[in-house]
Amino acid sequence: MARTRVEAQPATGSRLVVMVGLAVSFLLLMALLNMAKSQNLWDEAYLLYGALIFYSAAGVLYLGFGVTGVSSYVRFASFAIWAGLMANTGAIAHRWYEAGHPPFASVYEMLLSFVWTLAVLTLVAERRYGVKVIGTVTMPIAIVGVVLMQLLRTEVHPLVPALQSTWLHVHVTLAMLAYAACALSFAIAMMFLIQDKMPTETFLAATSLFGVAIYMGVLTRFEAWGGLSVAAWNPEERSEVFLGKGMRLFVVIPDLGWMMLVVLAAVAAPFFLYLVWRRTEDDGFLSLANRAQFVSILLQALALVFFLLRIRGGRYSSFDTEGLFPTSPAASPFLLSGLVGGIFASLLYLLLLWRRADLECMLPSAEELDRITYRTIAIAFPLLTLMIAAGAYWANRTWGSYWSWDPKETWAAITWLVYAGYLHMRITRGWRGRRAAYFAILGFGVVMFTFFGVTYLLPGLHAYA
Amino acid sequence: MTTFHPRRLWQTIGATKTGVVLLILVIVMSAAGTLILQRPVTEPEEMQRAYSAQVLRLLDGLGLTDVFHAWWFVLLLMLVSLSLIAASVQRFPNSWRFYSRPYRSADEGFLKALTHQTQILVEDEEASLKAAERVFRRAGLKPQHIVRERSFSLFGERHRISELAVYAVHASLILIFLGTMVDALWGWRGFVALTPGEQTIQLQLRDGAVQKLPFGIRCDAVGQENYADGTPKKWWSKLEIVEVGRTVAQKEIVVNDPLVYGGIRFYQSSYGDTGKLDKIILAASAASGKGDVKEIVLGLNETVPLDSETSVRLAEFIPDYVTADGQVYTRSNQANNPAVHLIVESKKLGEAVNVWLPPLPGFEQNSSSPYRFEARDLRMMHFTGLEVSHEPGQWAVWAGVVMLSLGLGVVFYLVHTRCWAVPARDARGRPVLWLGGVANKNKEVFERRFQKLVGEIESEISRVTVTSQSATRHKAIQSPQRQTGMGAMPYGTYKG
Repeated sequence: MARTRVEAQPATGSRLVVMVGLAVSFLLLMALLNMAKSQNLWDEAYLLYGALIFYSAAGVLYLGFGVTGVSSYVRFASFAIWAGLMANTGAIAHRWYEAGHPPFASVYEMLLSFVWTLAVLTLVAERRYGVKVIGTVTMPIAIVGVVLMQLLRTEVHPLVPALQSTWLHVHVTLAMLAYAACALSFAIAMMFLIQDKMPTETFLAATSLFGVAIYMGVLTRFEAWGGLSVAAWNPEERSEVFLGKGMRLFVVIPDLGWMMLVVLAAVAAPFFLYLVWRRTEDDGFLSLANRAQFVSILLQALALVFFLLRIRGGRYSSFDTEGLFPTSPAASPFLLSGLVGGIFASLLYLLLLWRRADLECMLPSAEELDRITYRTIAIAFPLLTLMIAAGAYWANRTWGSYWSWDPKETWAAITWLVYAGYLHMRITRGWRGRRAAYFAILGFGVVMFTFFGVTYLLPGLHAYA
Repeated sequence: MTTFHPRRLWQTIGATKTGVVLLILVIVMSAAGTLILQRPVTEPEEMQRAYSAQVLRLLDGLGLTDVFHAWWFVLLLMLVSLSLIAASVQRFPNSWRFYSRPYRSADEGFLKALTHQTQILVEDEEASLKAAERVFRRAGLKPQHIVRERSFSLFGERHRISELAVYAVHASLILIFLGTMVDALWGWRGFVALTPGEQTIQLQLRDGAVQKLPFGIRCDAVGQENYADGTPKKWWSKLEIVEVGRTVAQKEIVVNDPLVYGGIRFYQSSYGDTGKLDKIILAASAASGKGDVKEIVLGLNETVPLDSETSVRLAEFIPDYVTADGQVYTRSNQANNPAVHLIVESKKLGEAVNVWLPPLPGFEQNSSSPYRFEARDLRMMHFTGLEVSHEPGQWAVWAGVVMLSLGLGVVFYLVHTRCWAVPARDARGRPVLWLGGVANKNKEVFERRFQKLVGEIESEISRVTVTSQSATRHKAIQSPQRQTGMGAMPYGTYKG
């Protein structure tokens, strides 16, 4: 319905830009007034606030492009990213100056650098490779990152002895760069699949499976009687509550587990309908699958809202110790990013469903995208190698062993092997196109597991990140 | 399978498919090693809690509870190395031939099949070749004259090494494997805790065995520095290496900065309370109230005279006391709730009095002591926990890592580029300079480079022509025209 309405009245493109511009100037004015009042002109929080405003403006403009298909929005969005990046750079510089070490020591600082890298890469991809709409994917991630930062502890935190090493900074910087390059190769491989005329239904099935993976992950925290266990949070300290060394205290939010179970079913539904469609070739099932996808988006949004409401208000009991404890979204960054990521992937599917023709016009050709995927991996792979090497060197200086098969190390090695496989298949076996793109997507899947899955599911020496 | 062909087996081992299958096996097994709880790290009780007895027996039997040290995992890694070696050895001769004897004076068929080729109309073949040579040189393509019986042409190339870099990468991986293998066989890791002044020549390994050191290690001092908010900033220990009674090396080590001696490395890994007292500082004053307050320093079982007739001995130190059933116990080794037992002996009274700080009812006789005591300061004896490791193979690993990084850089970013310039005739018999080029990767970048090269050669030729023509002839200047296509015959004859 929305589709026909939009197509009936061709948008002029100026309205949204003017509105976003007004909103940005209003918010900036408010921020300036606040700054003048607090008499602390160059505070990091204001810079971060500025970055948030601009990144959000870019996000809104990309969304506007998604809904209306007006290409000038994308250009203005790119300006907004530039402005946001400048504020972000200021925040990083401020942080670095104040802390006296590169900003990689805490989750807050890692997010700060990660969002910065993401914005830079977005602009690089736009400028150099002409992948104009990549911000549609990266900006929402950046916004979630900045919002999450507002919740986290921001004081400069002293480093524990094991983290006071240049090699650690080298290791983390390289990891950030390598993972960002992997993310870029993934996004470009996806765009290749769009340009390679992969049917929209297949994307529906993939989106649905992605959602299933997320909610399965969330449900590993399912507790008896339908609760969901989340880490407890100490609002005064702005940190998690620890029972012992590295042992977080988990509290159980009642009934949230049931809700997640329902959402899992809703998320899985489009995939089953897709399978039925494949069997019966009755197009009715396909439109049903698309409708099920809308329902699942609504339910996912509802789950996110409930999750946030329950996690922000109220105190919950724990199995491990007596008493009631508060919790916070900041205590469960992985759960939060999972939920947001699921919604976001579904929205991207909608963008594809409604605006595929526009997207195809804006993206470079399939061959070009295929080559860019390879070249981003050719950047990522040496970075991954150096990252592992720097980590091993640091471990050797700190723990007395360069390789101890801890889960994070092992999964970093697996990531490396998968990308090595991609390169061999491409160079010696001449894999191009679809197969290479699937491989690139698999590689990023492993990266995500190394980054989130290992931290979330598998304990080990890497307690810091 | 009737006969055994060693050659065919060798081919199979080196095949890409074998390599990929082996890599997939390594990936699956390492993933299993992170998903299943592993033995040395996880306590046995926790294993029993996580898995049922049957499952645990099965996992143990298959070696899945210690994947990374299981014989089959080591075998798998060795097979991967073997496959890597076989693949490299099988492919190397070809690459080496390509590298050592570059295809300079390529034949007509080869040149015609090049993806990037073009031709420029020229007037003077010799001058145009010279111009091309200058441009090649500027572009970093070392130009070489190729003189054949009746032809003369130009060949230029750069970064030929890029063809061999992949072997350097594979060799470095083998080097890393060898290094880890050496460490697995001859290396060891252990732990030793030392208190200041203590010296040892042996330590306990991870598996519980005792390892003798070829020298003694002594700890002189240990310490901790804190941030203003109380979180630890730095742990340090002053260590000395003692050989035949002589100090041969010493260093203050901190976390991230170990002491290395004779291939053995000592790392600062932990720091803590031994629960033992180093010194206690007490203020003693006479019970009568007369005389000054004396400050005395006591270690365990040390006796200090208070006056000519009275002395005090530190009999007991309880770091974290609790009283029960008429006994004093300690709950931990941390000085959380310390109690001190002093014995005051007085010759005048002819008896010993038990003094407890703080006064523990039922134990203390503080009121009958001729002196009153007050604790001023408590210095605990700290220990430093040292991880000790001997990894003789690590140098191979680091050398491999450096080689790997350099090799990958060359593999991905140095492009072997080859270009040819050959005087020829076009379809209408006019003299042309035929140009062709090929790159071993990044073809689309080379496309642009090649076009730029051609453009530069054109302008170089016209510059030369302009200067020479204005000096001698009055002919209209004809700028060189470019023709793309396959019409021309490469290899014109050289008119000398």
